[in-house]
Parts: sequence; C-alpha cells; structure tokens
Amino acid sequence: MIMPAGRPLLLPVNPRFVLLSLLLTLLLQMALGLMHLPWLPDVLALTLAFWSVHQPRLVGMGLGFVLGLAVDVHEGALLGQNALAYVLLSYLTLQLYRRLQGFSATQQALQVAPIFVLAAASEWLVRALAGDGPPGWAALLAPLLQALLWPLANWLLLAPQRRAHDPDDIRPL
Amino acid sequence: MPLERIDSSPPPSFRQGFPVLMRLGLLSLLSLLLMVADHRLGLSQPVRATASVLLSPLQWLVLQPGRLLDAAGQYFGQMDEVQEQSRSLQARAIAQAQRLQEVEQLQQENAQLRALLDLREQLAGPSRAVQILYESPDPYSQQIVVDKGLLSGVQLGSAVIHAAGVVGQVTRVYPLLSEVTLLTDRNQSVPVVNVRTGARYIAFGDPAAGPGRLELRFVPASADLRQGDLLTTSGLDGVYPPGLHVGQVTHVDRRVDSSFARVGVSAMAQRQGRHLLVLMPHKDWPAHPRQAADAASGRAPAAANREARP
Repeated sequence: MIMPAGRPLLLPVNPRFVLLSLLLTLLLQMALGLMHLPWLPDVLALTLAFWSVHQPRLVGMGLGFVLGLAVDVHEGALLGQNALAYVLLSYLTLQLYRRLQGFSATQQALQVAPIFVLAAASEWLVRALAGDGPPGWAALLAPLLQALLWPLANWLLLAPQRRAHDPDDIRPL
Repeated sequence: MPLERIDSSPPPSFRQGFPVLMRLGLLSLLSLLLMVADHRLGLSQPVRATASVLLSPLQWLVLQPGRLLDAAGQYFGQMDEVQEQSRSLQARAIAQAQRLQEVEQLQQENAQLRALLDLREQLAGPSRAVQILYESPDPYSQQIVVDKGLLSGVQLGSAVIHAAGVVGQVTRVYPLLSEVTLLTDRNQSVPVVNVRTGARYIAFGDPAAGPGRLELRFVPASADLRQGDLLTTSGLDGVYPPGLHVGQVTHVDRRVDSSFARVGVSAMAQRQGRHLLVLMPHKDWPAHPRQAADAASGRAPAAANREARP
C-alpha cells in the first residue's frame, strides 16, 4: 500500500509493549469503574480497538474475550457481557483496519465511533434481555468519548514506534 | 535492533488458524453460553471464582491509591473532629448502657417465658466482621464487595448487617472476596413486620425511586400503615434473623383507582462507614421446604437464589 505523504515511518512494534499497555488500561478501567459515572469512557475498549487496527495479528478477538471476562468478574456484571462486547468490537475493527490505515487519526476517530456505539449497544441489549432495563442517556456519552480519545491513544501508544531507527548520543530518543 | 519482531516477518500465507468469522461465531457463542449459564442456570461459579482469584492482585493494586488518600486524609484530619466524635460516641455509649441492661433483663425474662411456653429459642449465630472494599461498578445492580470470602468462612446467603440495620445478603462468594447485594437492589426482597401493628409485608428494593429506597408491594389500600412506622425483619425467610431494623415508612399513597397502596420506605442502613457484620445462616433453622424436598429426593440443593424468598 502506498503511504500518504508526510506520515512518519514507524518502527516495528514491541509485543511486550502492547501487552503492557493492555494490562495498564485494564487497571485504569477497573479504577475508573469504581467512580460510578456512567459516562466515563471504556479505556480498555479503546486500547483494544486501537491495537486491533494497528496490530491485528497480535491483538484480536481471543484477547478481547479474556479481557472482557476479567472486567465482568471485577464489575460483578453478567459473566460474558463485556466479553461479547469486546469480541464484537475486535471483529468490527478487524474488518476496517485496512481502510483505516489510509486516514489520519482524527478521521479514524470518526470512523470508529459507530463501532464503539455498536459494541456498547450490545451490552445494553444483553442487559435489557436479562431484565435490567435501559442504562440511561449518560451511558451513550461513553462510546463517543472513547472515539474522541482516539487521537490521544494514537499519540501515546505509537510513541515508542516513532523513535529514531538508530538511537545515538545526539538522538537519544 | 532485532529483526524477528512481528512486523518484520512476512504474513503467514497458509497457516492463519480459524477463519475470522468462525472465530467471531465461536467466541460470541461462548460468551452467550456463559451469560445464560450465569443468569439462568447459576453454573458459572467456578469460572467466576477462578477469574476472581487471578484478578485479586490487580484489584488490590487498584484499591491502593484510594486507601492512601484515605489514610492521608485521616492523618491530616483535624484533631477536634476526632475529639468531637469520641465525645459523642461516649455519650451514646452511656445512653445505651442503660438500655443494654434492660435488654439483658428482658432477654432472661424472654428466655424463661419461651421455655414456659415451649417455643423455639432465638439463638445468636456466629458472625464475622468484614470491611467494604468497593461498590460494584455494574450500573444495573446495587452490590458491594467485601474483603472476606470462602477461605474466611463466609457462606452464600448470609445476612449482612450494619450498626443501623440490615444491609443485604451475600449473593456470590469467591475464595478471597464476596459480593453483597444490598436490600435496595431491584431483585432483592426482604420479609418485614411492622413493629407498631405486627402486620407482615414484603419490602422490595426500589432503585428507581432514589438511593436507599425500598417499597412495600401488595399492601391492601386499607392496611394500617403510617408515616414513620418502623419495619423490622420478620425472620420468616430463614435468611435474615428476626428483629433487625430494615427501614422506616416515609409515605403511604392510597389511590382510588387501585386496591393496593403504594408505600415508600427509606432503608435504615445507608452507606455509612466501612465495617459490616456477616451473620452466618443458622443450622438449626428449618430448611426451606423446597430445599428440604431437594435433599429428600437426593438432588443437589438449588443454586443460590438472588431473591430472598419470603
């Protein structure tokens, strides 16, 4: 594929960094959950979707399923509710990743927003079917905030890959 | 820089594992099965317990910042606040001392009378003090997670109380933690008795009405209920011991078009403090008829009910 002009050439990714970032966002997600604000973005979903787009051979539905189960157990939610949402999210981003690579981060955010909404909607649907009623309007804000955070994730998570090829004394980073 | 990074190897042309759609189908089916097993069949406990144990170091880590802040707040908290608290606690202790002696005398009297009448004794069961770790992040249910589990002897279905009254019931037990569903949860109900009249009702959690709200359902419009009536557990369900405070009636709404009254109750034990007491279920209590039938027919006892059946 031809790269758009002006895009920096990225270093190969370090798989350990991917796993570490997922673990850290799992921790952050668990901590954010304790605040009981329904509009807080699901940062784990954001990181998962981000790596599904940028490293689809490393991060996929299997990892999403496992992380979803962890979140379910921590939240005391229906077991499998977040797992299903994350599997769906990973699948949908996997369908889009080729196309997304041609866009800038803000344009990508616009395209992943519906995916975040769909994944969250699967959770709302599951809970409605389980007899728990609608989650309230504030919950709709969460997937949109996730999409807004996409450029930030792009900046943060790709930072290690933007370093110079051969670091020396003049270019330490 | 090592070259065997994931980007530098060519993509596999032939060996790609399962097709993507098949993976999606398998994993979605698996999560749907888990949800059904969790919600309908109550079979997911082993999965939950395993995941909970694996997660516990992470949970511990997540809770640390909050604890540090709490500790710092306490450390820098004003001295007079603590002194004030201690003074009011002492005053309360003195006020309660008299009542305590009365209660002891009444208990003796009661025991004698019960022995005379050949009634079943009210025994105090074993209990265990626990600490609240966090409130469950799940927005649909009202649960708290406490720091003792199966390894500390917490049993499924135990009643959980607080200085002010009943808090809820243990609905999930993990090896290191357990989940307590509050009385105010939508799926929770507790049999109560009106102290003033002795009439029995069932209080259901009513989170839609606000935090700490319960409602009495199926109350005839002509029932004798007033604002301010104290409701205590009746002990009919075999889960909650009788006589624990549940709440106070806040309003009684009698409508012309309905034969039932709408009765709102505010729960006694709002979230205050971190320490709770888990009351172990009594072995001497008669078993629930269905459980007794199950035991008689040799089946395993029914899975944990989320609802306290009156």
